This record gives sequence, structure tokens and C-alpha cells, in this order.
Amino acid sequence: MMEETRVVQGAWELSTFHFNIEARGINLMLEGFKEKKLKGIRCHQCGMVYLPGPFYCRKCHVKIDEPVEISDHGTVRTYTVQYADIRGNPMPEPRVSAMVQFDGCDSWVMGVVKCDPKDIHVGMRVKVKWKDQPIGNMQDMEAFVPE
Amino acid sequence: MRNVGIVGVGYCPQFVSKRKDVSIPEMISEAVDAAFADSGLGPQDIDAIVFGNMHTFEGVNLPHLWSVEHIRALGKPVMRIATGGTTGMTAFHAGYYHIASGLHDVVMVVTFEKHSEGDAQVGLLGIITPEAVAMMMAGIDLTGEGGMGAQGGGSAGAITYQAVSWMHKSGATIDHIDAIAAMERRNAAKNPYAHLKDPEATAEKIAKTPMISYPVRYGHVCPTTDGATVCILASEEKAAKIADKVAWVWGVASCASDPTTGNLIEGLITDPAEQMQCVIAAREAYKRAGIEDPKREIDYVEIYNGFAHQTLMYLELVGMCEVGEAHKLLEQGELEITGRLPVNASGGVVSTNAIGTSALNRVTECALQIMGKAGERQVEKEVHKALAHGWGGLMQYASITILADKPKKL
Repeated sequence: MMEETRVVQGAWELSTFHFNIEARGINLMLEGFKEKKLKGIRCHQCGMVYLPGPFYCRKCHVKIDEPVEISDHGTVRTYTVQYADIRGNPMPEPRVSAMVQFDGCDSWVMGVVKCDPKDIHVGMRVKVKWKDQPIGNMQDMEAFVPE
Repeated sequence: MRNVGIVGVGYCPQFVSKRKDVSIPEMISEAVDAAFADSGLGPQDIDAIVFGNMHTFEGVNLPHLWSVEHIRALGKPVMRIATGGTTGMTAFHAGYYHIASGLHDVVMVVTFEKHSEGDAQVGLLGIITPEAVAMMMAGIDLTGEGGMGAQGGGSAGAITYQAVSWMHKSGATIDHIDAIAAMERRNAAKNPYAHLKDPEATAEKIAKTPMISYPVRYGHVCPTTDGATVCILASEEKAAKIADKVAWVWGVASCASDPTTGNLIEGLITDPAEQMQCVIAAREAYKRAGIEDPKREIDYVEIYNGFAHQTLMYLELVGMCEVGEAHKLLEQGELEITGRLPVNASGGVVSTNAIGTSALNRVTECALQIMGKAGERQVEKEVHKALAHGWGGLMQYASITILADKPKKL
């Protein structure tokens, strides 16, 4: 082994960047949250329903803008039970989360499921538990709960 | 199109957590020297260089041009490739295209990652920064305390969903994931260039490691490694003069899907276990290689398995067995170094993950098995044809390389 190298510290500040992103789909979804509704976008060409909706169909790549209300009930397609946080620290309680496909929607979303870790399974029916007073924020969907 | 062969492989002397004794260019230089020693070539013999590593992982944006002297590229063309986890194999494919096209005769593919100098979680976040920042501003909590978006950060989040979905379809259990992880650790112990080694690893021992997120245990997960790999490719005419043992490229293919988790092509989004891009890339690579029945014709496989269940899942997806069959082959001992379908004799990515090198190492390990130069990890059966697999991007990119012990009939 050679002598150790010299270490110099460096940082890239994310706050120095200014990103432009297309936000119509997510804005539509957040607006819907205020009425405890899920609003996605349907492709007029192939019928795919997305939540949140993109402004183009990911399959056909044509412009799409047809809002569609989606049921807040759905099916667990896959799940996990977390025992450690993103940095590997143990969590006080195991947390169940799942990818859920809402009825009538083609895309899946991730979220916490409030249930006993022993009960979670692929195919489980769940619904959204909304905040009492939603404000148009992602946190308005508190969790999924068993139907 | 011309035939292209692998004529030299070079690894840096050790793949470990922290190489504090060398800088990034110095570590890369070690692998370049090793490849020159292996092939008997020198800088004067190389026409062009293809370079690969993860963007943002070390916070260095032009590592190929920073390292230009260490990769002996002065006065030569250099290009950098970055496709995420598949980077090493995409760089290899680019090197292959350089020669197959007739533009160059001898090309060096250089890959590295020096994880200890950066932060992989920040790097992974950095691949979708605008979307991630927008979601955070809309109230999503990437660390997972909130409702939607729990598990959004880092690759391990979506990987757990992939593992559960695959287990549901295949009928495999967490015991099988423990067993394949143990096999990889034992194989790694035979590989001087592996990072996590345990000659005594057993499924029971792996099962005692802490559960991170069901069904993924600590013992199922790849390390972050410092390391560099170099592979030298040559045209058929040159290869005959350079090397006695050559591994020939018969088929290469890549495929992309949507950036969520990768299944839009067939219409269903977004089952992270469907990995349709892998199925399509394998199909295309077999076609190009003239392989009709991979189960019968392929002797050895290297799977890119950042997480242990992926060895079994991708064996099914590349068509080396049916869905639901991989864990049965494991139970029968067929995937071992002594088995009928040996897989990851190297210990795989789950044992060694210097990301830029990881998909290239799948190719170089297949090449060493074909050349009979794999040392203690050489598999028992004769290897005439081998398949190397990679996955990367936002879990939505796949690459496949098929090598053989003879040049392809053109």
C-alpha cells in the first residue's frame, strides 16, 4: 500500500439548480385531493389511464388531456414491510407499504398501508384514508387501509 | 459486420470498500496496466477508448478526460457512456460497435466506480433530480414518514416490491433468497477480485442477518465497492495475432422501458418484476447470436444481481428456465460451480459492486470462463457459450451479451 491520499471536501448544492418540469398532471391530482378525489388522465387513443397523468401518453406518445376520476379503492399488487429507514437505522415499529392499482387505473402508486404486517398480501383490497381537511398536498392521502 | 473478440481483461488488484491509497485516475490506471499485462499489448496498440461509470456518484463529471493520461488516451478518441447499472456493458457494446463497424481494430473499454468518495443514495437521487424535487415540494416524503412516496428514495425501495412480486409469481420463498445469497458469497470466496466473501456461508447464516425491508435482508444486498475493470477488444484478424485464447462476441442487445419501473411496452405499468425490457433484449441477443434454444445452448450465465433474488428472477426472464423453475434448480444444486447450469461463479454483483464495472464484469467473467482462465472459480463443465446480463437505468434498462469460444460464422 502506498501512502494515503489527501482528502478534500466538496459539495454540490441542489438549491443552486432551477428545474423546469411539466406539472399539469400532478397539479390536477393535487386539486382533486382537495375534494378527496383521485383525478388522472386518460389517453383518447389507447385508453390507458394514468395517475398522476402525464400530458402525453407514455405508450402512444400523443398529447392527452382528458381528465378522468378514478376510484379510491384498489388492489395491492406488491408490498414490503420496512424494518429500517433509508439510512439503515432501525425503525421503532415495522411499517407496511405497498404498490396499489386503483380500480380503473393502469398505473400503480406507492404508499403506506395501515394494517398488521401479518395481514398484508398480494391481491389485498384497500382504500384511501383521506385527511379530514385536505389542502391539495401529497400528505392528504394519509394511508391505504383495508377495505 | 466484422467478428470481434475479447483479447485481454484487467482488474485493479482488489475490490474493497475504501481504496484510500489511490485517487480515481490512479485506481483506473491499475486496471489498464493489468489488461496490458494480460494481453501483451501496450498503449501504442489501442485505437480508441470507451469509458464508463455512474454519473454523479463521485461528483466528477468528466472522469474520462480527467483520467486521460492514466487511460493512455492522449492523441486518441475517447467517449464516455452512462446508462446506470448497465453502464459497463453498454460501454462494452460501444467498443464492439467500434470494431464490428470496421472503423477501428483494437479498442479498450475502461470502467470504474470509487464509491467511497461519494454517496450512492445522493447519486441515485441525482438521476431524477427535477422530478424528485417537484414531488418533495408537493409534500411527498422520500424518507417515508408520509403516506404516498414512502420508499421513494434509493434503489432498495422498489427492489423490495420487485422481490415480493417475483415471489408471488414464481412460488419461491425467502428461504430461496437466503440460499442463493449464500451460494454467491461462497463463490465470491474463490474470486480474488470479489469484495464480500464467505467460504462458510449458508442459508441459515444469511437468514440471521437483519431484515431491512421484507423480503430483503442485509445478507441479500450488494456492498458499495471501489474498483476498476478494463477489457480489450480486437477484430478477428488482429485477435488471431494477439491472443491464444479469445472469447468471441456472438450477440449484443439492449432495451429500454419507461422510467417508473419498466413494463410499459406490454401495457401494464408498473410491476417491477415484469422487466419486459430484459425479455426483449434477451430475445434479440439470441436472434443475433443464432441461438434457438438457450436452455440447451448456453453453458454459463452471469446475472447482474444487486440483490440476491435477482439471480433467480433474471434466469427466468432471460429464458434459461421457466418462471417458477429457478428456485427448484437452486434446490437441486444445479446453479453451483459444479452444477448443470452454473451461475455467477464470480459471486455476482451482490458480492462486489463497483457500479461502473459491474455490468462489464459480467462479460469479463463469462470471457474468463470461456478461455478457461477463471482460476479457482472455473466451473466444472466445459463452457462454449455464455450469457452476460445487466440491468440499470431507473430499473428500466437491460443489456445482454452472448460470448462463444469460436468466431461466429458471418
